[in-house]
Amino acid sequence: MTTSISPPDTVPEERTAPHRMPFWVNQRLGLLVLVIALSVLFGVLRPAFLDQQLVLFPLLRDVATLTVVALAQMVALSVGHMNLAVGRMAAFGALFAGLGYDRLGLPMQVGLLLCLFAGAAIGAVTGWLIARTGVSSFVVTLAMDFALLGLVSLLYSALTDDAAFTTHPSGIDQLRSYSLADICAGPICGSPAVPQIAQFTVLAMLGLGFLYGCTRIGRELLLTGANPAAAELSGVPTGRRVLLAHTLSGLLAALARFMAAAGTGTFRASIGDDFMLPSFLGAVLGGTLLTGGVVSVLGTLLGTALVGVIRKGLDLLGVGLESLNIYLGCVLLLALSADRIRAVVSYRKVVRST
Amino acid sequence: MNRMNTALGQGSWANASLRRFSRSTAALLLCVVVAGYLALGVASSGSFFEGPSVRVFLQYLATPILIGLAQMVALCVGQLNLAVGALGGFTACLMGVLMADHGVPAGVAVILGLLTATAIGLATGAAIVATQINGFIVTLATMTILLGAQYRLTGTRTVDGYSRTLRDFGTAAPLNIPLVFVTALVAAALLAGFMYRTVAGRRLLAAGGNPLAARLSGISTDRQIVAAHTLSGLLIGVAAVTSTASLPGVNRSVGGDWLLPSFAAPIIGGVALTGGSIAVLGTVLAAFVTRLIDAARAQFSLDPSWVNLLIGLVVLGTVAGGRLHQTRLEKSPQSPTALPQTGGAQ
Amino acid sequence: MSGTVLLECHDLVKVFPGVRALDGVGLRLTAGTVHALLGENGAGKSTLIKVLTGAHSPDAGSLSWCGQQVHLRSPLEATRTGIGVVHQERNLIPGFSVAENITLQNPPSHRGLVDREAMTAPALECLAELGVDLDPQQPVRELSVAQQQLVEIAKALYTESRVLLLDEPTASLSPQETERLFEVIRRLADRGACVVFVSHKLEEVFAVCDTVTVLRDGKSVLESSPLPDHTHDDIVGLMVGRAHAATEMRPRTVDRSTTPTLVLDAVSTAGGHHDISLEVRPGEIVGLYGLVGAGRSELVKAVLGLDRITGGEVRVHGKPVRITSPRQALHEFGIGYVTENRKEEGVFLDQPIVRNITVTVWKRLAKALGYVSAREERDTAQDLVDRLGIRISGLGQNAGELSGGNQQKVSLAKWLAADTRLLVVDEPTVGVDVRTKHTFHELIWDLARDGLPILLISSDLAEMVTLADRIVVMTDHRVRGEIANDRDYDRMSGRVIRLIHDRDTVRS
Repeated sequence: MTTSISPPDTVPEERTAPHRMPFWVNQRLGLLVLVIALSVLFGVLRPAFLDQQLVLFPLLRDVATLTVVALAQMVALSVGHMNLAVGRMAAFGALFAGLGYDRLGLPMQVGLLLCLFAGAAIGAVTGWLIARTGVSSFVVTLAMDFALLGLVSLLYSALTDDAAFTTHPSGIDQLRSYSLADICAGPICGSPAVPQIAQFTVLAMLGLGFLYGCTRIGRELLLTGANPAAAELSGVPTGRRVLLAHTLSGLLAALARFMAAAGTGTFRASIGDDFMLPSFLGAVLGGTLLTGGVVSVLGTLLGTALVGVIRKGLDLLGVGLESLNIYLGCVLLLALSADRIRAVVSYRKVVRST
Repeated sequence: MNRMNTALGQGSWANASLRRFSRSTAALLLCVVVAGYLALGVASSGSFFEGPSVRVFLQYLATPILIGLAQMVALCVGQLNLAVGALGGFTACLMGVLMADHGVPAGVAVILGLLTATAIGLATGAAIVATQINGFIVTLATMTILLGAQYRLTGTRTVDGYSRTLRDFGTAAPLNIPLVFVTALVAAALLAGFMYRTVAGRRLLAAGGNPLAARLSGISTDRQIVAAHTLSGLLIGVAAVTSTASLPGVNRSVGGDWLLPSFAAPIIGGVALTGGSIAVLGTVLAAFVTRLIDAARAQFSLDPSWVNLLIGLVVLGTVAGGRLHQTRLEKSPQSPTALPQTGGAQ
Repeated sequence: MSGTVLLECHDLVKVFPGVRALDGVGLRLTAGTVHALLGENGAGKSTLIKVLTGAHSPDAGSLSWCGQQVHLRSPLEATRTGIGVVHQERNLIPGFSVAENITLQNPPSHRGLVDREAMTAPALECLAELGVDLDPQQPVRELSVAQQQLVEIAKALYTESRVLLLDEPTASLSPQETERLFEVIRRLADRGACVVFVSHKLEEVFAVCDTVTVLRDGKSVLESSPLPDHTHDDIVGLMVGRAHAATEMRPRTVDRSTTPTLVLDAVSTAGGHHDISLEVRPGEIVGLYGLVGAGRSELVKAVLGLDRITGGEVRVHGKPVRITSPRQALHEFGIGYVTENRKEEGVFLDQPIVRNITVTVWKRLAKALGYVSAREERDTAQDLVDRLGIRISGLGQNAGELSGGNQQKVSLAKWLAADTRLLVVDEPTVGVDVRTKHTFHELIWDLARDGLPILLISSDLAEMVTLADRIVVMTDHRVRGEIANDRDYDRMSGRVIRLIHDRDTVRS
């Protein structure tokens, strides 16, 4: 999209010359460098950090799951909305998967589909409410969050004895513990650090990358986020796009929850409670704008990876669990302040050059 | 003659405001509160009207009122405060730890707690203004930081060996009206006075109603944002005091369930998220409504999850209903054609 | 009293990213005069006003008040100095009462408490001076656009400024209200104040002003000169930077026998329009003229399905239709709407130009799975950029970085890309510099010449007279009459004004 072709006959006026940002303003590159630098730093300080099976494997599994959560948030942000109910939508979807495995004895894949469908359905309801009433998505998803918080725990206590489904469908344990090392092409096996569960993340990223990068609907989602009034007047079905964004958000949240459940082995109401903060961290650090219209799929992965690396590294350095949140909050503020400083610096440069 | 004119003028003005009130959210909420209370009384065959029940009902109403007001102050300048629960919980734990572990007298601990909460509010506001980052993200970050700090203060234990005086204040209820509830009402009255009558309060509202106009009229919107977050912090501090006083002990779960009620009260009470409007009475009454739901749940001994479900649904119903009502009003002439508002977060 | 220089500035410079909004502006405001500040849109008038009232601080240059050097760091300081202003944007707090809005800059208070009673009297005084009858306790959000404008002027009167700047105060006022405002302006000047009057309507300027300053491209090309020394054409020439060439357009004829593309037959809407009838034929430009708030854009939006049509009939290409959304209007009937409010409804400022132009054609470009080829997309956009001569440095550039005129062209390009069969153009040249304005007129003219039916909405009578074949005059959500255009400005303006003035007789 950024390739610029100057028409031969129009010489750009000085006042409309684009202000190309220097390369260090590129957020994704900065994130990548930061992730690598921090990993190396932690690796030097604590060689255990680079242990493939004990540290990197669970770290990547967490990153894979949280990236999907952050993507769920990113999709909502792309139309200028928020989804405060990511965690609960996820729990709602997983409830159905657990129910399917426990009561109906469904195979893993069917349960996954059921989970995704339930997540998408609850997302669609939310999106419909927002599009129909025009109420701020913040309020609707906040209320939805609490309605689902109540509903999900009611359903769990009604359907199960100890508020969790413990039946494991066949295949889910493999999903939890298998890495690329278990896939061998002849004598060459993959890295034991990369969990197989990451396949879902890769699929989700490819799907969203195609959606936002190449398709009509993706572009319309972005324009709906950039300026809903102008989009509607330009013939974009904004209501349907909002509905779609929230449906996708619910679907991705449910997928993330399924991945998290596969990681822990049980389907219970509480996991997913802590999805909200990472979802915003990953998306916002990755360069997705809260105001809508700009998304970055790759950035979301990098943002989530940065948070994961910091979390794991501090953990290994002996920073207690209780203090982790303090540092994460500070990282968020610092990262965004740095962004702000970059914006101010480039603004000044542009003014000076005028 | 002249005096008669003014008297007449005042009469018609009072009439007009009465008419305006009768059509307002607050009037509707008042009816709901009265009807709900009566219904509960009847359902409990009268025991709900007796002294102890009334006392318990009002005792646990103080905190919802105060956090609703704290959120309302942030909303009135077009900001959000996600850190309501975390700040309240942190302040409560701070006071508890100061009293129980360090033997600080109750009065000093309360003052320190209030000052800390106000200072954190101030810092949040200053951070938003200085970095120009969306208030949502900044308060999300302060929420995270404060949750960590709260956990660090108390760990997994429950701090309960603190001052009798504060406890007595928490349970004292002359005429079955708990002092903490009176505190909340006084805070609400002071806030209303501040918002409607003082220059500083009007500035807050002006900055929320039309930031550009306020700036051109010499009102610094940045300063109003800082002021709103500071005031919000102070109110959360008061909420922390009332909850520390009335709870058996403080631990890391205090404040964990404040976020939705803090938004529910002002939103049900008729405050717009876009800023520029406040409804102190509406917020207080909406807190009553949510408390009624909780009381009804206890009365019929239902699962606590019902409360979350119901409050969530009530908020959804209120905003959706209000929005649809407004769209119908906007169909009158003079108003610009309504373009679809697709519920952007901003 | 009169004759003293109140406010003077030299070589003011103000820089924004990518543009020197002010580039050496001088101005001398004398007590007892009405000073016209003129210039095309984008010449820097609004920026100058913001600098003079402390909303922006200048990057260079000096400002002096009664001979003393001053630095105005905030609007409040400017007010205290004695400079009052009515800005172009709405600057009222919607939830506050009329009285509180009027006294907002300096509310009567007592130990930090607002004194509401003390607000009413001065507010009523200011309103009475303007001859407006409003309840000071009424919230401002319940007022009409014109009433709000009057409250803003009352607000400026309240501060008792010695220099009062009025930025386009008459845009939404009726002729009577405008006349009343002029009386107030003259009275203020007689009392020794200086009123700076900014307007696009040169007739108004000549009616009320004594001295004039003309800005062009951020520079003052005429500085505080007596107005009677200049003719209408002089001033226009100075604003435009060259003699105003009479617009030469290639001749264009309309075949009146063809079926009209769009017919409104006695249409009423939920928005308050009554009995609106008009028709647009292929190759015809029909002008819809009226004051701001007359309900013209609202009518178009109702036709596009954004508001309910409660009576009458809409016919497109001869068939009665009911349009429910802008996308149905676009995809089924080929109706395009170039919106009035460019920044809010027209372009996507933070999105690349290519997306801004191709948004209407993605549906056509999309292949399997909704895949849109980036190359085809760029080709389509490039084609239009060349055709309309949009000055850009690359298709990936954000539309927000373009000048106003180029943004407007992007907004138009979007509809041309979609091959619309009927174009509604709403205030196409507001905020566009005069050169682009001229090209724009030619563009619209040529589109009609190629057979495209165009419904042109404009508050600029000169533009109407230049372009339209017929002018439909609207006030208060009703059609007051229709005039065939003979391209003679004086005759046409007289007839249009008469139609607007007659509304009271029509009503009774």
